[in-house]
Amino acid sequence: MFPIAFSELIQIFRNRLVLVTSFIIPVVVSGYFVRQHETFAALGSLGYIAAIVLFTVAAFGLYATTVTTLASRRQNLFLKRLRSTAIGDTGILAGLLLPATVVAVVQVAAILTALAMVAGGPANIPLLVVAIVATVAMLLGLGLATAGLTNSPEHAQVTTLPVTLGVIGVASWVGISGTENLALLKRLLPGGSATEMVMNAWNGGVALTDSLLLLAPTLGWVIVAVVLASRLFSWEPRR
Amino acid sequence: MATLTDWIGRCCHWDMSTTPVIEVERLNVRYGDFHAVKDLSFEVRRGELYALLGTNGAGKTSTLETIEGHRAPTSGTVRVFGHQPGDRRVVRPRMGIMLQESGFSPDLTVRESVRLIGTLTRRTDDVDRVLDVVDLTSKAGRKVSQLSGGEKRRLDFATAVYGTPELIFLDEPTTGLDVQSRDHLWTTVDRLRENGATIVLTTHYLEEAQQRADRIGLMHEGTFHREGTVSELTRTLPAVIRFSLPPTAPALPLQAVTNGGGKVAIETFGLQKDLHILLSWAQDHAVELRDLEAGPTRLDNVFRAISS
Repeated sequence: MFPIAFSELIQIFRNRLVLVTSFIIPVVVSGYFVRQHETFAALGSLGYIAAIVLFTVAAFGLYATTVTTLASRRQNLFLKRLRSTAIGDTGILAGLLLPATVVAVVQVAAILTALAMVAGGPANIPLLVVAIVATVAMLLGLGLATAGLTNSPEHAQVTTLPVTLGVIGVASWVGISGTENLALLKRLLPGGSATEMVMNAWNGGVALTDSLLLLAPTLGWVIVAVVLASRLFSWEPRR
Repeated sequence: MATLTDWIGRCCHWDMSTTPVIEVERLNVRYGDFHAVKDLSFEVRRGELYALLGTNGAGKTSTLETIEGHRAPTSGTVRVFGHQPGDRRVVRPRMGIMLQESGFSPDLTVRESVRLIGTLTRRTDDVDRVLDVVDLTSKAGRKVSQLSGGEKRRLDFATAVYGTPELIFLDEPTTGLDVQSRDHLWTTVDRLRENGATIVLTTHYLEEAQQRADRIGLMHEGTFHREGTVSELTRTLPAVIRFSLPPTAPALPLQAVTNGGGKVAIETFGLQKDLHILLSWAQDHAVELRDLEAGPTRLDNVFRAISS
């Protein structure tokens, strides 16, 4: 796993397009939200900013990179090459996805630390961590599933749009309008419950048991994503 | 080539038992309605060079990919070293695979690619020595995207022979290679074989298979059209004597086909006897048989005979 992860890291840094679109742009966008935190806190809350940062990095960064990387490695038969060695499929996927996942988690941690320093920290850090882990897992699963529907790295620019725009839209909707109305719908949409968890964790004032209940739909999406991934993901290009 | 000899000399203590390296029993592979491989059975013995040949769409690739563990059989059993081919942890450290298409990451260098894939095979070797064996030392720092087609083939070969595996799959190994690289590759394969390696080969260059294969499985429409040694396969068709004759030459002592340019072909199942008759006749009549060649039929003709 680690030799693959290391080679993947080398490739990320050698490929400027991936580096810029997947790692630099999310940081710039997130930086803007942190800088303008007073405006966005007035629109929603600080918890909303935290949720938007998380989803910007996890969707535009991690998810898009996952789909692009897997489609590219499959198209040029690198996946087949890796499967010609002694390492198992799980080890291959773990190795391929580890660097982008670590980079995404570090980005989220750094940006949220910056937010905490300029505007005040979260009320419940463990809950925030749980929400981040669940969101990352969901988008990794969706990334694997989407990669199964994506023929090439170029094609990924199209196939990733529904999920990236969808979860950002849901996070903004939930973050700005709250869950007083249409609560069930908002919590069942992908990313909806996770957004609410992040807001509760950051803003406080909500009973922990209520927040943990939100874990159910979030983990439900993780399971859906993993099932979709196991159905849709393919190792070799379609002929 | 001292490095190569050292490299092979240091290699592992192979299990020299007599069980076949590869056993295929009643293998069937289907894709939807298409029956790619039909009830195929064969085995590859230790130390053999087995060539799996066939017409386009004959099922070679499906068969090979099943043995390599890239594809699950629809029915039947395949055993490699007595194990399921899909059991990568057990099987792959003992076998090297040269794929038909390269499959390297364009952003990695040659050295990084060999190190990565070599490490993942769980065999041990020295990357620089392997690069030297395939003559890519001068390109070690180049990105794969900058390599020519032939260089990519050699890189592929490097990962297959990394750590001197007992079993090596060579899928179209010389496609795109120039003559020197081709000779170089076969020299390396010969050294590996001297040390007991088993080779499974597919190729479109039939003369390579004819020269080197111990046995050939000739596939057509999902099954073996013929299987046997090269001579068993070529023996089914007549041997051929070819030469050119001046227009003034007297009548030939044997039945022959003559084309417009004075080129003559004699097909015979008694090559030695007929060649003697011909040479005596030429000697007696002081006729020069220009561009004379004589030998068993070529595999090409065995292939042509499949479809006719």
